[in-house]
Amino acid sequence: MRHKLFLLFFFVILAFPFQSYASSSYVLPYPGSMPGSFSYKPHLLFEKVLEYWYFGNFSQFEYNLKESGKYLVEAKTLFDYQQYLLGYSALKKSDNYFERTKPSLIKAKSEGKDISRNLLILSNAAEKHIEVIEKLKKENPEEFNWQPEKTKASLLNLKSQFDASVEVRKKYL
Amino acid sequence: MKKLILGLYFVFLLLLTFFSYFFIDPNLSYFKSLYSEFIFLHRAITSVIYVLLVIFYFCFYLLFLKMYKEKKLTKKNVKWIICLTAFILFFSYPAMLSFDIFNYVLTSKVTFLYHENPYIIMPIEFIKDPLLSFTHGANKVALYGPSWIALTVVPYFLGFGNFVSTLFNFKLLSLFFYLAVSWIINKISKDFISVLLFSLNPLVVIETLVGGHNDIAMMFFALFGLLLFLKKKVFLAFVLLVISIFIKYSTLFLLPVFAYITFLKYKKIETNWNIVYLSCTILMFIPFILSPLREEIYPWYAIWFLSFAVLVPKNKFVLYISLAFSFSLLFRYVPFMLFGTYFGVTPLIKTTVTFSPVVLTGAYLLIKEKLWLKKFSR
Repeated sequence: MRHKLFLLFFFVILAFPFQSYASSSYVLPYPGSMPGSFSYKPHLLFEKVLEYWYFGNFSQFEYNLKESGKYLVEAKTLFDYQQYLLGYSALKKSDNYFERTKPSLIKAKSEGKDISRNLLILSNAAEKHIEVIEKLKKENPEEFNWQPEKTKASLLNLKSQFDASVEVRKKYL
Repeated sequence: MKKLILGLYFVFLLLLTFFSYFFIDPNLSYFKSLYSEFIFLHRAITSVIYVLLVIFYFCFYLLFLKMYKEKKLTKKNVKWIICLTAFILFFSYPAMLSFDIFNYVLTSKVTFLYHENPYIIMPIEFIKDPLLSFTHGANKVALYGPSWIALTVVPYFLGFGNFVSTLFNFKLLSLFFYLAVSWIINKISKDFISVLLFSLNPLVVIETLVGGHNDIAMMFFALFGLLLFLKKKVFLAFVLLVISIFIKYSTLFLLPVFAYITFLKYKKIETNWNIVYLSCTILMFIPFILSPLREEIYPWYAIWFLSFAVLVPKNKFVLYISLAFSFSLLFRYVPFMLFGTYFGVTPLIKTTVTFSPVVLTGAYLLIKEKLWLKKFSR
């Protein structure tokens, strides 16, 4: 009888399919200023200036990873508000910054610096980023025809962008 | 008698230098052969020796002041004593009472060897760096201003990658600023006693020539700025103040004084320099007394106001209170030496030893000068 109950319990649990995501403990940065806000343009300028302040390979790694995280959070927020075009370009920016992280580490390694800790951070960040992007992929349409008031409409292939963003990060897992 | 006292002082400096090597950190592999567990095994004896050394140092200090007033010591003698003190204590172990000098070396290493921004990257991120095993606060980004980091380029590169020579180059930098500050005080003050009061003050000597703290560099630029004001070079004076501010930020408090002198110059009003020095003393006392808001009152912070207090030697209240602080602050190290912990009764004892002599001196001055009587008779 006990065995039967146990089997029944398992059957009930397995009968409900549920998807689980790997959850990374990596914390994404605060996004800061958002498009549409009056401080967004000065914020972009400040970001450019900050790039020079972050001299050095470790600093550049930190800068690019931080910026990538910031733009990912920005993209997520914009997608939540169905601002697909802005979200799409923020995600692209995030990808660009993410791709720039590893070269700084390679340079640091060539200078004899131990990069094991940074590689671990990068891998954790990649895991977290993928987690967020996969969620976005699930919650948003595969395509979206963006129709602005005065200019030409543009078809946004969101699915392929999400896939490309995941691919960028998968290399660093 | 004079020769005997100078001879004893020479022996005392040698003893202090020798004693400093008892404080070598067990993780400091570069000084492994000199390491002894003495301070860990004999905490009480270490504390007693340290207390006696501080007391003896103050006795010598007061004796030199008395001898100078009685004209038993000439200016030349005092200059010779200052140089002798600087020369002998240059060889002392710098991390006897604080580990800041290791932090200076590691920050310059982050900047000049690893080519990283020390305000973003913490030393701890260079996992295999051998300095991490004994440097405290390696999990913090640079605490000091860019002027200081720029200055450290000299001792860092002259060390040619050797830690011991780099460490002593940093001490040499402090020694240079110590002598330079003595020279400026001599230039600014009309009374040579100011030089003696500052340059042979045990707190200044121990924290600068033994500990190699960068506060002396900050005060050098601030005092040099004042000297340039005296020579009517206003723009350069401000440049030097800015350099000073960007060493450790505390001299930011001097800005109102510099602005006030500029205003007086612009209005062609005669400057009362004694009021200026007194204002500087009071203003530099503010960050000193407020330092517990950030961390705690570290003894070397007293150099901030002492640099100006000695310029008004006739103001007995300022002079005695400054001397009382110089004396009491050096005893803040004793509770840790004795108990080996920063917790428990240590903070209470530290506060008590810091303020008791100052309060007693203040009370003595009030009674002696009968200030309270004057106040009531008005």
